[in-house]
Amino acid sequence: MTRYAMVIDLNTCVGCNACMAACAMENQTPVWKGEWRTYVHEKEIGVAEQVRRRFFPRLCNHCSNPPCLTVCPTGATYQRADGIVLIDPERCMGCRACAMACPYDARYEVTYDDIKLGKEFYGDLQRTSPSMDKCSFCAHRLDKGMKPACVETCVGSARQFGDLDDPSDPVTQLVASGIAQPLMPHLGTRPNVYYIDDLKRKG
Amino acid sequence: MDTMTYTTQHIWTWWIALYLFFGGLGAATLTITFLTDMYCRPHRKLVLWGALSGVVLLAISSAVLFGHLLHHTAVIYVLNPLVFILKPDSWIAWGTQFILWMMVWGMLYALPYMRETPLFQRLPLVRSVLQWPLVEWLSSCCMKRRRIVGWLASINGIGTAVYTGLLIQSFPAVALWHNPGVPLLFTVSAFSTAFAYLLLLLNVFITDENDDDLRHRYERFDVILIATELVILFSFFNYTLSGSESGYRSAQLLWGDMGWLIGFIGFGLIVPFLLELRGVTKGWGSRFPTVAAAVLVLIGGYMLRHYFMYAGVYAYPW
Amino acid sequence: MSWKFPSLTRRAFLKASGLGAAGLTLLKPAGLLKSANAGSENAAVSEAYTYSICNFCSSLCNIRATTRTKNGVKRIVKLDGNPNSTLNRGKICARGQAGLRQTYDSDRLKTPLIRVEGSKRGEVKFRSASWEEAWEYIAKKQKAANIQPWEWTMVGGWTSCVFYMNWAVPFALSNGIPNIIASPMQHCVTTGHLGTDSVTGNFNIHDEVLPDYDNAKYILFVANNASIGAVSTCRMVRFAAGRKNGAKVVALDSRQSETAAKADEWISIRPGTDLDFCLAMLKIMLDEKLYDADFLRTHSNMPFLTYRDTDGQWHIALDAKGRPRVLQEKTSTIRTVPAVTNDNSTDVDGNAFYPALYAPEGLMLDGHKVVTVLQAQLDEVKNNTPEWAEQTTGVPAATIRRIAREFGGSRPAIIDPGWHGARYGNMMMLRRVQAMIQALTGGIDRPGGWIMSGELHHKVAHSAKAQKEGHPAGPPMTSLGGMPFAKLVIDTFSDGKNFGHGKPGWAWAFSKQEREAGRPWVMLPVMADTGLKESVEGNLAFNGEPYLTRAVLINAANPVRHYYPDSRWKEILSHKNMELVIAIDVLPSDTTMYADVILPNSTYLERGEPNIYGNGVNHDLAMVTRYPAIDPLYDTREMPDILLRLTEIISGKPDSFMDWIDKLTGMPAAPVKEKMAKFQAQKEKSPYSAACREVAFDLAAKRAGVSVKQLDAVLREKGVFMEENYKEILEHSAMPWKLPMPTGSGRVEFYSGLFDMMRKGGGTAPNFSVLATHIPAECRKNAKSVSLADDEFYFTYGKAPTVSYASTNSNNPVLAAINKFKKGVYTNVWIHPARAAYLGIKDGDAIRLVNTLSGQTADGHAHVTRLIHREAVFLYSSFGSENPALTRASGMGTATSKLIPYNVEPVVAGFRSQEFTVRINKIEGKGVQA
Ligand SMILES: Nc1nc2c(c(=O)[nH]1)N[C@H]1C(S)=C(S)[C@@H](COP(=O)(O)OP(=O)(O)OC[C@H]3O[C@@H](n4cnc5c(=O)[nH]c(N)nc54)[C@H](O)[C@@H]3O)O[C@H]1N2
Ligand SMILES: Nc1nc2c(c(=O)[nH]1)N[C@H]1C(S)=C(S)[C@@H](COP(=O)(O)OP(=O)(O)OC[C@H]3O[C@@H](n4cnc5c(=O)[nH]c(N)nc54)[C@H](O)[C@@H]3O)O[C@H]1N2
Ligand code: SF4
Ligand code: SF4
Ligand code: SF4
Ligand code: SF4
Ligand code: SF4
Ligand SMILES: [Mo]
Repeated sequence: MTRYAMVIDLNTCVGCNACMAACAMENQTPVWKGEWRTYVHEKEIGVAEQVRRRFFPRLCNHCSNPPCLTVCPTGATYQRADGIVLIDPERCMGCRACAMACPYDARYEVTYDDIKLGKEFYGDLQRTSPSMDKCSFCAHRLDKGMKPACVETCVGSARQFGDLDDPSDPVTQLVASGIAQPLMPHLGTRPNVYYIDDLKRKG
Repeated sequence: MDTMTYTTQHIWTWWIALYLFFGGLGAATLTITFLTDMYCRPHRKLVLWGALSGVVLLAISSAVLFGHLLHHTAVIYVLNPLVFILKPDSWIAWGTQFILWMMVWGMLYALPYMRETPLFQRLPLVRSVLQWPLVEWLSSCCMKRRRIVGWLASINGIGTAVYTGLLIQSFPAVALWHNPGVPLLFTVSAFSTAFAYLLLLLNVFITDENDDDLRHRYERFDVILIATELVILFSFFNYTLSGSESGYRSAQLLWGDMGWLIGFIGFGLIVPFLLELRGVTKGWGSRFPTVAAAVLVLIGGYMLRHYFMYAGVYAYPW
Repeated sequence: MSWKFPSLTRRAFLKASGLGAAGLTLLKPAGLLKSANAGSENAAVSEAYTYSICNFCSSLCNIRATTRTKNGVKRIVKLDGNPNSTLNRGKICARGQAGLRQTYDSDRLKTPLIRVEGSKRGEVKFRSASWEEAWEYIAKKQKAANIQPWEWTMVGGWTSCVFYMNWAVPFALSNGIPNIIASPMQHCVTTGHLGTDSVTGNFNIHDEVLPDYDNAKYILFVANNASIGAVSTCRMVRFAAGRKNGAKVVALDSRQSETAAKADEWISIRPGTDLDFCLAMLKIMLDEKLYDADFLRTHSNMPFLTYRDTDGQWHIALDAKGRPRVLQEKTSTIRTVPAVTNDNSTDVDGNAFYPALYAPEGLMLDGHKVVTVLQAQLDEVKNNTPEWAEQTTGVPAATIRRIAREFGGSRPAIIDPGWHGARYGNMMMLRRVQAMIQALTGGIDRPGGWIMSGELHHKVAHSAKAQKEGHPAGPPMTSLGGMPFAKLVIDTFSDGKNFGHGKPGWAWAFSKQEREAGRPWVMLPVMADTGLKESVEGNLAFNGEPYLTRAVLINAANPVRHYYPDSRWKEILSHKNMELVIAIDVLPSDTTMYADVILPNSTYLERGEPNIYGNGVNHDLAMVTRYPAIDPLYDTREMPDILLRLTEIISGKPDSFMDWIDKLTGMPAAPVKEKMAKFQAQKEKSPYSAACREVAFDLAAKRAGVSVKQLDAVLREKGVFMEENYKEILEHSAMPWKLPMPTGSGRVEFYSGLFDMMRKGGGTAPNFSVLATHIPAECRKNAKSVSLADDEFYFTYGKAPTVSYASTNSNNPVLAAINKFKKGVYTNVWIHPARAAYLGIKDGDAIRLVNTLSGQTADGHAHVTRLIHREAVFLYSSFGSENPALTRASGMGTATSKLIPYNVEPVVAGFRSQEFTVRINKIEGKGVQA
């Protein structure tokens, strides 16, 4: 079996946003309205002069227990055997319950207008119907043996992608070692995007 | 990784509050009228008013939701009754079916009464429909199996009311929503608003003196429900005060808001509670206080849902 | 029987997530567990890869374009880093990723544009024209105004520099145009790099410092960011690897830049004082002998004996034949070493010896008291203690001392100066000191240190071989590497004798004029703008005759935004003496607003270049080129064809153009002409470029010893033709280990031969010191006397990760969307909360910045953040576009060129673009948007 997961090392993410641009181009996201499948946030943390600038990339966590999936009435949101949570735009009616259920703000709307604008913008739009949208772990690339677009281009090598069911995968090892931690695991979502904290710097 | 952002959502806003409000109200109205008709005394007028306005309310509710869908044609996937088998875990799937079937059973329950009602016989199109052999046959079937139809409608009605809460409860990121109190609260509120709505009907449209017993009974139920609602809300207040930052922020949003405190708790619950309490214990000389209380409860019912949607605080770890 | 609750351990948790999911899927509809790709399967769709080079910054990343052809329409759908590239290791930044949207930008220049009759430059009134109309317009103007060759000036950006230098320089020479302004020069290549290059002799644009972060143990960044984390992909990928490998990282920056955010230690230094910090470091490392003594003895000029003349100036104690002398360690024997070599340990007589780094007190030579360069340098920095530096830098002496010791004690270590020079008059000196600090560790052309590019090694090795064999190295523009190349450029344009009309470039004429008039003047105004304004306005004379500039050809450059101040360029371009302004671009920049004719170039994804190039800033040696991913969407032309046509108009001598190309670059004219005829017959839009490309393939294949077909096949399949990796290169060409450095002496030069030369040429300012010395940044009128006023701040800037320079790609819809997402951080003025609070400024407030020295003002919004030094404000220098035709970028952010005055340093006219302070006040009133 395969269980895809991503590890993001905050120690080398430089906030370059290459992942955002790569994902937008790869997945034809509605850049005109500022919605992305992945975001790189900036935060100032630490007290007084100990201030630190943190870059925090985020995306859908492809939860093993995804609340977005259970709420979906049409079955548009589904999970593949390899753990990837996908949306079938043909089937999605756009009730947005999934967006409400997602604890990670991973989903956004693609409207009829976006379809129109998208056709103009991308020339040839892959999707034909409006729906909710979110990161797909670039399933279409994985199926071709490629890595997700954001991982492929990650200039800081901060994003790593792997298979948790493969014990020899570096990603599995990072996760198993406990260095890489998921976001808000107490919610029971069992996320599959893990983060390596950047707070343990020397200095 | 301790950089949290606390924020409210802007996805499901007033329109979903309307959906929940009309959905709960419509469903509970149907249920109450049918149960009254079955176990209190047969009441053609009440059933007609209740069933028809209930169906209209449910239709409004559904229309609001439908209007806001991103992709309208895909709605067939939830209208398909097989959705129970396909998506048994989705409350919207259940909810849609409840609403759908409750409209069907509700209409069927009312059908025999409709055929007896002169108004409908006078409406040209309706009359001819009511005289279709199929409709005639259906109507007689319903007459024979009145209780079954009534119960099917009522179960769907209760289901719908509970569903409105279960839906909100299924969003785990928000402490205010993700707790078993919500379905309870929404169900109680749905029935309370429905009683208020029926009181309004019985005081404005169906002004038959014979129905005073019903008025009293409804008023008594409503007082109890409002009191229950107050208790539930009080425990919500306590629940959100600690335990999770998201909940605490919701508490700050709600209990620091005059609209919620004075508007909803004050005028949406306490004032009508007192008005109705006096109506139950001492009675009023005029209809006005009861009507006013009913209107306040109805407005309060919407406010509850409105505030609930807006005060749900998500905690994002970035 | 007791109930057992299932308990989950951490390990089990991982497993369970798989199992749990599988278990729960039983509850889920089987019908929905279908495979992905609900997408429409279309038989008529095909995808293909083409390889190219990114065109958004001088990192020159290798890219792969994916095109999708559907119903006969081919579109570029994705760009990626070329996975076969050792330069950028398969990665590209946000600008690179978004690059395809330049091609599809709705605001693109689609046809030639001619300024509407009767309108003024800057009014943005253009009409579309055909190419023939445009050429006619130019020819008519050239003829009517009788523009002389020297009255032309070319302005080129880095695109024209890197990709078309081999056409641009011959174009200038064949048309008798002695004037080229290259936009990277005063900002980075000359101001910054030349400082480094004076120590290492490199001068290969942007690859003078290629740190091998992968293998470094300690990395010290000084005033750099865009060259690493924000972002130069080729360097960032290495830095990330180095950091993962455990390198300690320290960043000196007056704000917490993207790069500093990744450091173990961020040292927030007072702007303009990095030289002080580095001088103190240099002193400590010398004092405490934290250096690779053997390296210095053998491969640097540290052991050269020097003396002070009566003016207190240092000189190398050369013998009569101009050869340096070195003391043998532990003896008083003085040896003479060859003038040029990479190895001091053999004297001119072929005797091996051990050079001394210290001369004993009172050593005399030729009647002078002599010491070694090392001792002279120590003497020069004797006052530059950490305690002294603490006063100016604001960094505790203990920290400076600790960093110096850590750096000196961990090898391999890297000190990294970044790319952008300018900012201060002392920047060049700072770069020199940094190169010296690096050289102290012996970390040059060594793993974990600075490694020169494959291309430079190739050229230097090639020249060395030719010299040995006693024949010229070959066409200068393609064979000369390092400082000899710089010298060629200087010699060509500074001397009127190289032109029929006898006039040197106006920059050189202006230097001469100012010098003679006793005013401040610039020693090496290499492709600089100094004197342009005077020349346009009629205030420049050469040999008693007025030296006017009346026509400008701007090619892939945007001086209105990239030079200082913007008003100066607007005046220059709109001046009444200015007869003709031609701009070649892909998008309507703020500079094209001031053109008479705008000629549209194809975008980089639509063109196959006329040349095969080296692999840019790569340690490895490789060849790359561009293949067009799609045919040009609009009626656009390629650079060489444009230059050829302009040659026909200006001088009427296209043959001479091609001959110069032959002479300077080695691209033979005859086969080019032949092939051009062929392409013309095929109705190719840019036949000359296509012809050059074919010939370039011939030449490159010959160099690589393969057939053209093989070369083409590799480039098509892989995008790079690898020749040698850096490990192999270092085996035979490591400098100064195996080969002499391209400095004047072949060694690493602590005592600078280059500055010695300029001193002889009349340079008196401390900027011309032959040794490292202190130069203060003069940001304030009475610099030291009083502390900053309450509303006064040092001004700093840097590049945003999502924009190239202040380029038109701020208009890229994807990048513009990211910039919007990061609005506060990217487009607002960074100011510390403590200072902001005092001024009543809140985040997002509208503020006005006033330059305290020049009075210039600019408006912006505040970004209140603790990530900036309390005494400084910071602005990303990428915004402030004004051309309304840039529909997404226009009006976004604040332009640095509104605030920065014209103020240049005396060596190369480098911009002193931060040498001032600003007053900040809140703009009150209605209608002000936060
Ligand atoms: N404000 C500000 N000024 C700066 C800098 C900064 O960061 N901010 N950085 C400085 C530095 S370090 C440097 S190196 C210089 C670089 O300065 P430039 O080399 O001039 O920079 P670019 O913006 O890449 O190019 C300028 C113009 O080239 C056009 N262009 C892009 N692609 C093509 C093409 O394929 N063909 C043609 N013909 N034109 C094209 C762009 O539209 C733009 O108008 O700027 C310096 N000036
Ligand atoms: N995003 C992006 N990346 C690019 C380019 C681009 O256009 N855009 N262009 C490429 C080119 S041509 C160049 S030249 C390089 C430039 O690469 P760099 O020279 O690395 O880039 P800058 O952005 O100029 O970085 C300047 C840093 O110095 C800091 N700084 C300013 N003043 C001072 C000071 O007085 N002392 C100290 N210690 N720090 C100070 C600023 O805060 C900023 O973080 O970038 C290359 N990469
Ligand atoms: S992150 Fe959100 S959208 Fe993604 S699987 Fe989890 S719940 Fe669903
Ligand atoms: S919006 Fe679409 S994917 Fe989301 S819950 Fe509704 S139908 Fe499912
Ligand atoms: S995995 Fe693919 S879809 Fe998800 S954020 Fe990365 S590029 Fe976007
Ligand atoms: S591409 Fe990588 S380094 Fe850049 S912002 Fe995204 S995650 Fe961070
Ligand atoms: S660093 Fe980015 S913009 Fe520069 S060449 Fe590489 S991909 Fe292009
Ligand atoms: Mo540069």
